[in-house]
Amino acid sequence: MMSAAWTVFRKELIDALRDRRTLLMVLLSSVAMGPLVLVLISGLVASFEKRAEERVVLVAGLEHAPTLVNHLERQTWTVKAPPADWERQLAARSLGDAVLVVTPGFEAELAAAEAPLVEIVSHTANSRAEASARGVERLLRGFSREQATLRLAWRGVAPALLEPMRVENRDLADSASRSAQLAFIVPYFVLMAVLYGAMNAALDTTAGERERGSLEPLLMNPAERSALVAGKWLAVAAVAMLIAVLSCLSFLPGQWLIRSEALAAMFRFGVGEAAAFVGLLLPLAAALSALLMAIAIRCKTFKEAQANATVVILVVTLLPLVLMFGQEGEKPWHLWLPALAQSTLMARVLKGEGMEPMEVLIPVVVAAAVVVVALGYVSRKLRSAALK
Amino acid sequence: MITVDNLSKRFVTGSGRQRREVAAVQGLSLVAADGRITGLLGPNGAGKTTTLRIAAGLIEPDAGRVLVDGLEVQREPRKALARMGVLSDARGLYPRLTARENIVYYGRLQGMTEAAAQARVDVLAEMLEMRPLLDRRTEGFSQGERMKTSLARALIHDPPNIVLDEPTNGLDVVATRALREALRRLRDEHGKCIVFSTHIMQEVERLCDRVIVVAGGRKVAEGTVAELLEQTGERDFEEAFVRLAYGPAAMAAQQGAAA
Repeated sequence: MMSAAWTVFRKELIDALRDRRTLLMVLLSSVAMGPLVLVLISGLVASFEKRAEERVVLVAGLEHAPTLVNHLERQTWTVKAPPADWERQLAARSLGDAVLVVTPGFEAELAAAEAPLVEIVSHTANSRAEASARGVERLLRGFSREQATLRLAWRGVAPALLEPMRVENRDLADSASRSAQLAFIVPYFVLMAVLYGAMNAALDTTAGERERGSLEPLLMNPAERSALVAGKWLAVAAVAMLIAVLSCLSFLPGQWLIRSEALAAMFRFGVGEAAAFVGLLLPLAAALSALLMAIAIRCKTFKEAQANATVVILVVTLLPLVLMFGQEGEKPWHLWLPALAQSTLMARVLKGEGMEPMEVLIPVVVAAAVVVVALGYVSRKLRSAALK
Repeated sequence: MITVDNLSKRFVTGSGRQRREVAAVQGLSLVAADGRITGLLGPNGAGKTTTLRIAAGLIEPDAGRVLVDGLEVQREPRKALARMGVLSDARGLYPRLTARENIVYYGRLQGMTEAAAQARVDVLAEMLEMRPLLDRRTEGFSQGERMKTSLARALIHDPPNIVLDEPTNGLDVVATRALREALRRLRDEHGKCIVFSTHIMQEVERLCDRVIVVAGGRKVAEGTVAELLEQTGERDFEEAFVRLAYGPAAMAAQQGAAA
């Protein structure tokens, strides 16, 4: 029994690894994709950071407002004149900064306390300009407060009267939980890698074997059917795990490429995290392999099996979204659903939170149950599948 | 030696009003002796493939039994399969494995050691004249090359009994001749018990020591080619077969099968 299963395992593994073209596609789509997305996101965040660091404010008619320019420069902002066709550029979204428009009479009206009008010009369809408009507004409020404080002080009124209370922001999230918010993509891509890794091998050893007409002769060997199924399943799960390991490891060099300093500091994914991921994914790879085999053994052709496996893909793709969109946080039942349980626990690893032994055990038990039921089904179906 | 004893099998398709029952095999008995080539000759749908599949343990019969060297296939399938090499209708190979790997895989599943299986592959390659094929991947093999590979795969454990289901299907003249030659050598030099099913007269005339004509799941005639010619009073074997397989006795069996 054991030696037959081992023989089947070795053959199926060699067979799957020789399918270079499929393997390459899986590697490209699931192993290279994650780090690529990570790098793209980091590029985006880095460009925001760069803009924030530059501290440039565009003022049209800055020669009319030396007091305001003086204030802005004291806040370490650089004041620049906008390009000539700034209105058109804002509409075309090629200019990413809101423009402050000052009227010629600004300085005189300010001195006479006549509340001069300034305009912050932005474009609702231009999200970058909209974002910077908020920054400009904050700057102007600072300027107004400074002017008001000076005038009150001139009249002998304590400036504190203007501020009956003080407001400050405090963020409770530490760097680990901030990084988890952004790094939900890592568990997600790793889950996909396991699924796509298992998919081809699982379908090939069942529906593919039927389509080729090699299942019937295979059953004419004096080997236990359960041994044949066990060997096939082990090979499929091994391929799935191999892809999962590669996918986890690919995020290690991926994070060196992160261009945003703050992001790189927040995104903690070391060898320890990768190892924890692999450990959490092992039962999932086993369960998904068995499940896909059980679905595919009913199908006469590889194509039919692919169509049927879409259900599994959909479920595995959608379940982790419960975490992303769920407003109520983690629920105990999350751990009872494969895929959702793994993404919950992987998110915990990224947040640097611990796990109870029971919480690790539940998904393992569920996966074991899925494996037993699915493989039992495949063994029972094997003979009738061979004949049709 | 393979003994088929009063074998019956009905297939049910559909349910309710669509329900149809087909009696594929009805009380078929035959004996295939060692050192002989026994041909199972019959028109399409006569029950040949079903009989051979029951012999290989793939289908449970409704009644009757199949004995391989005295071992009942339905009771001890693995022991019986170890003494039997089956070339079924389905001859799928693994395209990403070489011919040698395909063959050795079955040897390992038969419980042979790696070394023994490898040595046996070389012997079979010599006999089936397929040495140049051995280390090529089977993707893109011709029909003849596929047949040789799957025959070698079925014979890897040197079984005393060989069962072939329409082995010459889709083969050209040269490949057919090579197969015929191989079967003769297996009979004469190794004393194997060979059973093969076919609907091609020439095969039977050239190769079979004993012919069993089946129609409608029943045996309608049995004997050597000469005996069957004599029985029907025909000089042409094709004519003799038509009279036997489509004659009154066969027609009665057909009626019974469709009922």
